Amino acid sequence: MNKLVIADPGKCIGCRTCELACALAHSAPDAIATLSPASFIPRLKVVKTATVSTPVQCRQCDDAPCAAVCPTGTLVMGANSVEVIPSRCIGCKSCMIACSFGVIEVLPCELHLSDRQHSATTHVEAVKCDLCESRGAGPACVEVCPTKAIYIVDSAVLALAALKRREHSAAMLVIGGADGYPSHADN
Amino acid sequence: MAEKVLTVCPYCGSGCKLNLLVENGSIIGAEPANGVTNEGELCLKGYYGWDFLNDTKLLTPRLKKPLLRERRDAEFKEVSWDEAINFAATRLIGIKHKYGADSIMLTGSSRGPGNEANYVMQKFARAVVGTNNVDCCARVCHAPSVAGLQATLGNGAMSNSIGEIEDTKCILVFGYNAAESHPIVARRIVKAKEKGAKIIVCDPRFIETARIADLYLPIKNGSNMAIVNAFANVLIEEELYDKDYVARYTEGFEEYKAVVAKYTPEYVETIAGVPAAQIRQAMHIYAAAPTATILWGMGVTQWGQGVNVVKSLSGLALLTGNLGHPNCGVGPVRGQNNVQGACDVGVLPNSFPGYQKVVDPAARAKFAKAWGVPDLPAHVGYCLTEVPHLVEEGKLKAYYIFGEDPAQSEPDLAGFREAMRNLELVIVQDIFMNKTAMFADLILPATSWGEHEGIYSSADRGFQRFNKAIEPKGDVKPDWEIISLLATAMGYPMNYRNTEQIWNELRELCPIFFGATYEKMEGLGYVQWPCPTVDHPGTTYLYKDNKFDTPSGKGIFVATDWIPPHEPTDVEYPMVLCTVREVGHYSARTMTGNCRALQTLADEPGYVQINTADARRYGIEDQKLLWISSRRGRVIVRALVTDRANVGAVYMTYQWWIGACNELTGGHHDPVSKTPEYKYTAVKLERIKDQSAAESRLQKDYSELRARHAAAVG
Repeated sequence: MNKLVIADPGKCIGCRTCELACALAHSAPDAIATLSPASFIPRLKVVKTATVSTPVQCRQCDDAPCAAVCPTGTLVMGANSVEVIPSRCIGCKSCMIACSFGVIEVLPCELHLSDRQHSATTHVEAVKCDLCESRGAGPACVEVCPTKAIYIVDSAVLALAALKRREHSAAMLVIGGADGYPSHADN
Repeated sequence: MAEKVLTVCPYCGSGCKLNLLVENGSIIGAEPANGVTNEGELCLKGYYGWDFLNDTKLLTPRLKKPLLRERRDAEFKEVSWDEAINFAATRLIGIKHKYGADSIMLTGSSRGPGNEANYVMQKFARAVVGTNNVDCCARVCHAPSVAGLQATLGNGAMSNSIGEIEDTKCILVFGYNAAESHPIVARRIVKAKEKGAKIIVCDPRFIETARIADLYLPIKNGSNMAIVNAFANVLIEEELYDKDYVARYTEGFEEYKAVVAKYTPEYVETIAGVPAAQIRQAMHIYAAAPTATILWGMGVTQWGQGVNVVKSLSGLALLTGNLGHPNCGVGPVRGQNNVQGACDVGVLPNSFPGYQKVVDPAARAKFAKAWGVPDLPAHVGYCLTEVPHLVEEGKLKAYYIFGEDPAQSEPDLAGFREAMRNLELVIVQDIFMNKTAMFADLILPATSWGEHEGIYSSADRGFQRFNKAIEPKGDVKPDWEIISLLATAMGYPMNYRNTEQIWNELRELCPIFFGATYEKMEGLGYVQWPCPTVDHPGTTYLYKDNKFDTPSGKGIFVATDWIPPHEPTDVEYPMVLCTVREVGHYSARTMTGNCRALQTLADEPGYVQINTADARRYGIEDQKLLWISSRRGRVIVRALVTDRANVGAVYMTYQWWIGACNELTGGHHDPVSKTPEYKYTAVKLERIKDQSAAESRLQKDYSELRARHAAAVG
């Protein structure tokens, strides 16, 4: 099962430290000296609606619509995430249309760090959260978030959450009618 | 391998410890350290707010040589330090002889210089110039908290510690947007919530903390005093208050009760715009909590009635016994990294270092003896915000501005500029060319945070050492050294060797700081004053055993009637402008505006936050430019249409050069603290049809402004 990075809106204070950490983690080491609005490409975006503040990023869907619609095989299933093979991207934007979460973008590639060899001036590519897989310390956003609102969800985290919810469900069954759930004896 | 230099973040009063990573004499990064307040966390300014030290010139250049000009319309010329100091000394002496010492105004700096430099500056003002006219930007910030809390509890600082916030059982957040002002304090609020604390938020805007609040009171702009009186009314009328505590540890209850009697929740409902039931509910939550903490910010202080509201907030804590023990109290969270420190070391027109009063003959005698002068001025000096008026009256002739940018941060900037033009002498000591320096006769270039060391005081009275990481570039000097040279040139030799020597002189003179030695602040050491002896660990919370620092030792209740804002909206100016903060930029922005990452996130002209309904009414679209004007000025700004802003009010941040909201704000201020009413200005909004022309004009104006600042430095 893929891992994903997600944030708890109850802890997010909307400070955008994660956006900067993300953009810099995907740039050259000296990017702090060259960053500009044009080269500022965070793969997660802090969304502030009237009632919610939270960064939003790729869910690394295990049956990924972006990968399914990609005509060139740019988006492939990696060990832990949906990965991008930039050299294959033709910029058709099918992935953007398919993504339910709005978390993949097709952007001109010369604007950000890329190790590809060819046609740098015209090439575009799909850009999304890659879990900072090439970064030894793990996702930069998770590391810098001052309220620890951002965390990694893997199968262990999901299993633990499910266990807790099952325990909660069990407790409600014992309490019975108090929560509006009919107990067995009432039936 | 990068060397790590442990220091304190230069932004906001949270006092975060961080390591600067230094390689080949340059900073290449910053990482969090496990400081007492930040516990290994930083916000974006801590992580990415250091590259201004590389003189990026994104906004404005570093100052690298003393600059002098003979006339205001002439170009600045680079001069030697000797020439610069001689000029300053000669002119200051001349003005003092001609008009008297009180014709000279000086400032401290609540930012990078540190406590030692500020101590030397106020000593220079008092012992060398001979005036108490020395003030800092606490005046436009938490001066009402200092005045209000000194009057009611005896001590003007936070009664609690930043760390205690997460262990309180109730937080009443009043006019304080921690997420934007102090992310590392916001973190404690989030943790308190997780630990089960109830959160009550009073704010016209739906701020981040309102999202996690148990109760959010969307009070009308300008209703603070009424709502706090209603809170007191509920506590008393419903007998929710701690009668035993009030009887034993307070005075003035009967008079207080009489004033708040008419402020029933039903009466205040119409003033504050929140249902009476919610006002009651807020106090039911607050009074029921075993420990409760009030946190406030500029939403309380930047009003014509700020001092009174502070007094009444401390009254709520007194009524419920939420003082004198851990995890409760009153928390005016100080904004700038060392605004607490500038106040601590006497950069206030009424206080010597350690809050010893200039009107107290014994204090004067003590400082005069220590400083080797026959006497010191006995009357309280002028406040920063009085400067324009005093210049107009002919009372002020010279202004020595140290590490502040009042031409950006003061209200009614047009009025301020007029005052600057009419001064006979303006000396600016700073690290960057800024709007204020453009009015100077003499500019003295100083070392920056990162290039010198010293002590900062964080918001909760915590002294911490910050360290030098790199060598300064250019012909610059530490602030205390510049002031010492000037003092010496004026016939008062100052020969400090280092900051520790200055600190030790200050410690000896301040009983409440005496135990805070450099040694104790080594590494991650954190010493909260009062710290009277060397073996004292410092004080996490004030008023232990409910002994207050008032003359009687009791907490004093003071209540005042609500008065409406000074400049009501009308047909011509139908909207309220309230000035606020944004997390990615700091103060007047010369530092963060020169940091690439921070500038990338937010640049000119800045935003005006406006409710959807108001935007529709004025035909304003999100992200489009518009004109906003008041009776004093007009600026261009970009719309951020959001329902977090309330109907009828708009919000702007004060650090922008083009979208400078202080062109609009007015000079009305609190009669005691002289703090301006930044939070309420009548304005109007006008849509701009030709957006592309407006965008071009914006870029042109911004480029020209930057070019003028760059050219001034040469």
